[in-house]
Amino acid sequence: MSTGLSYREKTLYASLAAELLVYGPYFFLHQQNSINKVAGMIFAIIVLQVLLQLIIAIFTRNRVTDERDRLIELRGYRAGYQLIASLMVVGLGMLWFHATRGDFHIESRMVGLHFLSVFFGILVMGDISKTVTQILAYRRAI
Amino acid sequence: MPVIRNQVRELRARREITQQELADQVGVTRQTVIAIEQDKYSPSLETAFKVAMVLGVPLEQCFQYDPKGKR
Repeated sequence: MSTGLSYREKTLYASLAAELLVYGPYFFLHQQNSINKVAGMIFAIIVLQVLLQLIIAIFTRNRVTDERDRLIELRGYRAGYQLIASLMVVGLGMLWFHATRGDFHIESRMVGLHFLSVFFGILVMGDISKTVTQILAYRRAI
Repeated sequence: MPVIRNQVRELRARREITQQELADQVGVTRQTVIAIEQDKYSPSLETAFKVAMVLGVPLEQCFQYDPKGKR
């Protein structure tokens, strides 16, 4: 692997690929959600990430990370946190709005699954935005 | 013009050191050396001192502060 990418960049691209591969079908194929599927995806993403990171570590000779990597990492976490916080406010606002209108019964199992799906989706979007922000920062050579 | 300008590329060329060699001696990645040379990244004081030390020049000959520059 003698590309112009640093070790951190390669791991970021691998992370993004794993996230899109595992989470993509969940959000874009409109599957029937369940706790088992969410748990399965979490397991799948962990296994895939470990495998990809292992392969990259084996084939990358220079695994140095430095202060710029840490700065970019922090920027990514900030972007991810801001997105999660914003979407949480919107999500909780919608929950309050629908609850006060009496659109659903909070004790219903389907409502619980729906919110599990929504908040899991928010976490996934936060994670993807963190990774994309870091990749863009590397591409802009910040 | 950026706030922190540098002569790393010129000094490195004068000493015939590659970007990778400089990166290895300073303890950063080659990509960071590239970003510094392109004035897209201002290194920490510690890294700036290390770069100057490896290039064998005083810090102010390697990095200059321009108060009128843009961040």
